[in-house]
Amino acid sequence: MKNQEDRARQTATGKVTAYKDPNLPTPPAVSAGPDWAQAFTTISRQDAETLRAAVATLYPHDALDPLIYRRVIAQFDRVAAQSREAAEMFASFCARLSDGAVLPFAELAESYRVQALTNLETTPAFFFVQRLAVRYLYDDVEVWAAFGYEGASVQLGGYIKRGFDDLDWLPPLPNEI
Amino acid sequence: MIAYEKSDSDVAVIIGSGAGGGTLANELCQRGLKTVLLEAGPHRTAEDFVNDDWAAFEMLSWLDKRTASGNWRVAKDHPNLPSWHCKTVGGTTTHGSGCTYRFTRDELRARTVYGDVPGADLIDWPLTLEELQPYYDAAERKMGVSRTNGLPALPANNNFKVMYWGAKRLGLQEISTGRHAINAVPYDGRPASIQDGFTISGDKHGARWSTLNVEIPRALATGRLDLRPESRAIAIEHDEQGRANAVVYVDADGHTHRQAASVVVLAGNCVESPRLLLNSSSGKFPNGLANNHDQVGRYYLRHVVQTVWSVFEKPVNMHRGELMGGLVADFARHDSARGFAGGYYIELNAMGLPTTAAFLNPGWWGRDFANVIEQYAHIAGLFMTGEDMPQANNRVTLSATEKDAYGVPIANIHYDEHANDLRMRNHGYKTLTAIHKAAGALRSIESPAYPASHNLGSNRMSATPEEGVVNRNGEAHEVKNLFIADGSAFASGGACNPTLTIVALAIRQADFIAARA
Repeated sequence: MKNQEDRARQTATGKVTAYKDPNLPTPPAVSAGPDWAQAFTTISRQDAETLRAAVATLYPHDALDPLIYRRVIAQFDRVAAQSREAAEMFASFCARLSDGAVLPFAELAESYRVQALTNLETTPAFFFVQRLAVRYLYDDVEVWAAFGYEGASVQLGGYIKRGFDDLDWLPPLPNEI
Repeated sequence: MIAYEKSDSDVAVIIGSGAGGGTLANELCQRGLKTVLLEAGPHRTAEDFVNDDWAAFEMLSWLDKRTASGNWRVAKDHPNLPSWHCKTVGGTTTHGSGCTYRFTRDELRARTVYGDVPGADLIDWPLTLEELQPYYDAAERKMGVSRTNGLPALPANNNFKVMYWGAKRLGLQEISTGRHAINAVPYDGRPASIQDGFTISGDKHGARWSTLNVEIPRALATGRLDLRPESRAIAIEHDEQGRANAVVYVDADGHTHRQAASVVVLAGNCVESPRLLLNSSSGKFPNGLANNHDQVGRYYLRHVVQTVWSVFEKPVNMHRGELMGGLVADFARHDSARGFAGGYYIELNAMGLPTTAAFLNPGWWGRDFANVIEQYAHIAGLFMTGEDMPQANNRVTLSATEKDAYGVPIANIHYDEHANDLRMRNHGYKTLTAIHKAAGALRSIESPAYPASHNLGSNRMSATPEEGVVNRNGEAHEVKNLFIADGSAFASGGACNPTLTIVALAIRQADFIAARA
């Protein structure tokens, strides 16, 4: 048990300490530098920047480390590498977002980015990107820590001694419960 | 483990190892029958399971492509995954929440009690509550259901406190932590719950009953069970007299086998079971096995399920503890004054951040969504499960154009919501929101139903072959020795989580099959 606890990926940078199950693979590493998408196998650097801006517009959490959004796009690149259909969806999404725009999507002001995304809302490419954004953004252990989700618990003995019934802002329950 | 010959024609062959098939396998083995259990998924165990919403979903779920049509929201939100069940030894009992409630007497007599609901095709069950009761008793004993047989209730968690005080302040009466096949204290070789919050993700800790951790090991211990994981059934055959006598399946290496059988039992959940029948056509059954009355796949039910998530000023931490440990039963009865037939239960709902984000309102994006999900730790959840109306055109059919890797046409699920379903949805949303408001909610979000996990009724049980596929013992009206042991045999949906009734019916069916063997 102790060993597992040590191996569990945890992050305490947010308001709680969050744990990813120790048996899961680690997420892709991303660079904090400007050329963060250079190691991607399938998604181009330009599309990576467009997708990052799109995910940050769809799900804007200003207090999160911007690296988290890059990590989502690194997951997208893994998905694209495994499926030609997925790669085409990402490419089509980026092409349509850029179509006729006066600036690259990532350089648009927020209200214009929102409008551009709204215009695509009924397309299969939007559906695909939006669902995958939710899939990977809210699966990031740093997001868990920031929003108060503590995650995997069995390696810590569950929550039975870690607050499963600690809510104290309502009256105590009567004994017959 | 014993290995029967493929030509051994006195084995019972069960397709699917979940609540129906896994339980039946054990019950038949205990009664001395030679049993082959075919499971499409691999034999994973608690060692493999993880505490993680998505990784568990991707590990356990039946993810083969399907299509969806009809006016239900699921067809829009989850067009290729309209049903949520599992492909692994243990089936969907590896995912079930452990809620274990009984049908009421009225629910088993739905047509008589509710009357003629226009547009609905209700029937009474060809079974009475008195006939089912001993089997419910047996099911509760084997599953270790809390608040039965002297077993204690699950303790109240944070999410329950919110439900309790909201419901109490509204004047509701029937509030408890409910009944679950989850141990509050060690029982039957399984540990007590440590409130880890991952019951539906395989339940790595093993406090909850499943066929994986209870029925199948006990069946194997008899020496009579031949468990064959990664064995994908693709057709059922019959002899010249029209009696089921073999199952054709494909193993993990892609080799096709034909297993002879004395009886064939379908327990592949409500999409795969009718799909297999429809794919098993012959000269005697040109439209699919047991389908000469055009009943296979019809009256598909998925319950009126939905969730209200509410944001509170102070933390709730709903992810800590058992996910569905709460029950309000005040609305679980037929009351025509409410303007709809049938009833519903209110239960707790809790999810991790990943799936809360995914199911809160699929397709929702922007700053408003972001603001809500950032308050995850302050969110409480309430769920409802209610009876939906059977309709002949709500059905599982085969694609005319698209086949899977095994050459079997993929399934489409068509579901149109009945006006009765919509009236119940409205009543339910208002009630759930009112409970949370009474507990101090700042904001409530009415979430749509996610992919169906209460799949029922697509091979329904009926008194006559004109109204359904199987008789009161779950045996096909048209095909002797062909049985259904999953929720597709339900004559109507009732309101409650279906697992306990599936298990009770499987035990009863084992008595019938063994008596005839």
